[in-house]
Amino acid sequence: MKNNKLMVAAAGSGKTTYLVNKACEINGESVLITTYTEVNETEIKKKIIKKRGYVPSNITIQTWFSFLLQHGVRPYQSVLDESIHDENIGFYLTNEKSGKKLDNQGNSITFNGNPIYWGENDFKKHYFTKSLNIYSDKLSKFVFKCNEKSKNQVIDRIARIFSYIFVDEVQDLAGYDLELIKLFFKSHSSVLLVGDPRQVTYLTHHSAKFEKYSDGQIKNFVENELGKTIHCDVDETTLNASHRNNQLICNYSAKLYPSLSIPSACTCKECRDNTTDHEGVFIIKPSDAERYLSAHNPIQLRWSISTKCSSNFQAMNFGESKGLSFDRVLIYPTKDMAEWVKDNNSELKSEARAKLYVGVTRARRSAAIIVDYDHDDVLEGIEKYSG
Amino acid sequence: MNIEKVNIENYKCFYGKFSIEFNQGINILVGDNEAGKSTILEAINLALTGILGGRYLKNELSQYLFNRKIVSQYILGIKHGDNPTPPQIVIEVFFSGDEYPLFEGNGNSEKVKKCGIVFKIEFDPDYQPDYEALISDADNMTTIPIEFYRISWKSCAREAVTTRSIRILIKSALIDSASNKYQNGSDIYISRIIRNLDGSEKVQLSQAYRKMKESFMEDASIQAINQKIRAESKITEKELSISVDLSTQNSWETTLMTYLDEIPFHQIGKGEQCIIKTNLALGHRKSQEANLILMEEPENHLSHTKLNELIKSISEGCVDKQVIISTHSSFVANKLGLENLLLLNNQKVSRLSDLSQDTFTFFRKLPGYQTLRLLLCRKAVLVEGDSDELIFQKAYMEKHCGHLPIEDGVDVISVKLTFKRFLEIAVKISQPVAVITDNDGDFDNKITKKYEDYTNIDFISIFADNRNELNTLEPQFVNANSSYLKDFCRVLGIDSSIYDTAEKIKDYMISNKTTWALKVFESNQVVQFPEYIKKAVAWCDEK
Repeated sequence: MKNNKLMVAAAGSGKTTYLVNKACEINGESVLITTYTEVNETEIKKKIIKKRGYVPSNITIQTWFSFLLQHGVRPYQSVLDESIHDENIGFYLTNEKSGKKLDNQGNSITFNGNPIYWGENDFKKHYFTKSLNIYSDKLSKFVFKCNEKSKNQVIDRIARIFSYIFVDEVQDLAGYDLELIKLFFKSHSSVLLVGDPRQVTYLTHHSAKFEKYSDGQIKNFVENELGKTIHCDVDETTLNASHRNNQLICNYSAKLYPSLSIPSACTCKECRDNTTDHEGVFIIKPSDAERYLSAHNPIQLRWSISTKCSSNFQAMNFGESKGLSFDRVLIYPTKDMAEWVKDNNSELKSEARAKLYVGVTRARRSAAIIVDYDHDDVLEGIEKYSG
Repeated sequence: MNIEKVNIENYKCFYGKFSIEFNQGINILVGDNEAGKSTILEAINLALTGILGGRYLKNELSQYLFNRKIVSQYILGIKHGDNPTPPQIVIEVFFSGDEYPLFEGNGNSEKVKKCGIVFKIEFDPDYQPDYEALISDADNMTTIPIEFYRISWKSCAREAVTTRSIRILIKSALIDSASNKYQNGSDIYISRIIRNLDGSEKVQLSQAYRKMKESFMEDASIQAINQKIRAESKITEKELSISVDLSTQNSWETTLMTYLDEIPFHQIGKGEQCIIKTNLALGHRKSQEANLILMEEPENHLSHTKLNELIKSISEGCVDKQVIISTHSSFVANKLGLENLLLLNNQKVSRLSDLSQDTFTFFRKLPGYQTLRLLLCRKAVLVEGDSDELIFQKAYMEKHCGHLPIEDGVDVISVKLTFKRFLEIAVKISQPVAVITDNDGDFDNKITKKYEDYTNIDFISIFADNRNELNTLEPQFVNANSSYLKDFCRVLGIDSSIYDTAEKIKDYMISNKTTWALKVFESNQVVQFPEYIKKAVAWCDEK
């Protein structure tokens, strides 16, 4: 029976494990598991091999880009432009909007200081590098247009190959990716999306298409954009228990996303054995940092390598730490993050918000944030560290 | 899953693009010797297995795979400085149905959705600089620069395929008369069948093989020999001994041999081999899976009885298999069903089932032999009856040092009054055909009007005389020999004093139709032939 489902997961709720278990339950029919990052792709492979000893032949694990290239682009690549019928299309990962118009010296041509881009009418320059590598930010657009022009042959083929399409870290998808998800919803394949809308640390691209949903608003997308004929269940409870964070950490991190329900800390014995005398979320004066590090040995989490922190203890960027667990973390916030810690109503851009969320939720026992404060400041949900 | 269509470009005898469609079930390829029947089978097998002549083609690319005309055009182009693109070979095999979406896409020469495989031998652009250097010295170029070529083997989804991935799609077996063997004589095809054993069976086989080798080493006599060697040879400090090679894991494939009634497979007759291979393929363990059998001229090496046996197993064993079979034998083709016939002619394919219902039904009733003769010959001469046949053959032999026309690929077929049905087939397959016919006393109606549809078809010629008073062969013959009537009577073996007028001789001939013709045929004396028959003989020699 065809069915579509979006699972909203909390940090540390074991969503990848859930996905892997679901995939392993399927016998015979073929399953695609796709995710944005290669790190997560490897993680999924590892988990399946750990469970089954090998990757069963009916399960295909691919990054989103590699899946789109193989099954979205190549099978019908020439329907948009016949001149590329016999070409071998490669892949080019870009971190910025692609297809800038360049002058003879290779500098970007600008208008009023803004760069100008090749439009769709300049087909090849819009989608591809000179050596016909497709820009990562246009990949899903290409697939969408290709499917449209081929009268749904692209999606139809994929749906006949994969009876199940599982997407992990779905919050990373944006723009035309969502159009494709919509098409998969409509197809014969059963679609399972799993993601934590709070952890949008990477985006496949920055697109004007569906911009309002790019910010972890996948749930709203599912609720608003599918129309009457396409159906997708939303499950916010199954994966709302954190096996990692204690309740104090759950409560505090939830303040970053007040519109979503507060995850609960799993209370089973395995998750909550031998509590220590230092549990929860703490605010620490910069002067106390060194002392705190020595006392509790947390891992230091920072915005980037240029953030200054103690060289005597291990440190990591927020982005890198995604998916990992530590007993204790010490967070070096950005200026905006620090403002938010002091006043939860202050403005915090989505990327910083997500990274702060990721940082706090890495911790099993304690998350400490270095912010200077006055003794009479009233701070909710966070304990003043006194040592 | 079965093959729906095959496109071949520039491969061997196929100049430019060639395309052929297949039915489910049995397909019989017939055509002239050079028409490319075997090449089609070979190409399909190559595209499905990567194997040509029993070897993987990958490292054995050769310019001889390319069509000669296309190569010479290319060389000429290079010499003229036209910068022609290096030619490529393309073999596309398309499948019916939609159960294998992995192989679907528009990555094929037809640029529309197809499920299939595209096998190319193409210029490798990595060699562009080397290539440019090469063509700058155009005078020394004699053939295509095959060393700059590569094989590209992809699905229609533009995804690289392997033998393994194709086997999910289709399992094929080529049964050819020239079998290819491993060093030990075991047939590659047989060993491929063995390789289809279960994983565990395979393991057991190789373990047993290993044990056998080990027990060889433990044999008392071998150990004694080794001791002797050790004692006598002081070549190095190290110990010298003889042993069996235990290093290779899969060596059983090349060392073990297939036996049939205790006779090694390669020692049994070719005909028997052919039957065994066919039966093995037909009775494949996984017979519920789609299977394709390519069979090249099964009539080779087979006695009539064996051929009958083989045909029986083909038609019984192929209920849900696709069989593509090439043959020269009208017997084979007829037994397997005329409706399955694919006629190959000048890179064109036609099927009998394309003919008008009427004509098709007519031919189904005929012994298939007649039809096939028309299809398989180089040129056909249609005559009305036996006497016409004998006379034409005689006229032909006189001009060709005693050769029968059939020896030169010209088949003389006696068709009674069904000329037009045969002509319909001839038009379909562009088969050169001559009609030798009487005017029946009404040239305008019986010849001009009757055959007016064919006047503009250059490969069809109608030979008849326009003198209405000479309405059939007999008056024509008497007329042609009117100056030598006495001699003519001697040829016919009749008394020239009784048959002393043209009229009397004619009447005799009419009442002894076959007899007189046979006399003429067997005589070694010179007779004169009517002009229209001579013209028909001359037509046979036209290019």
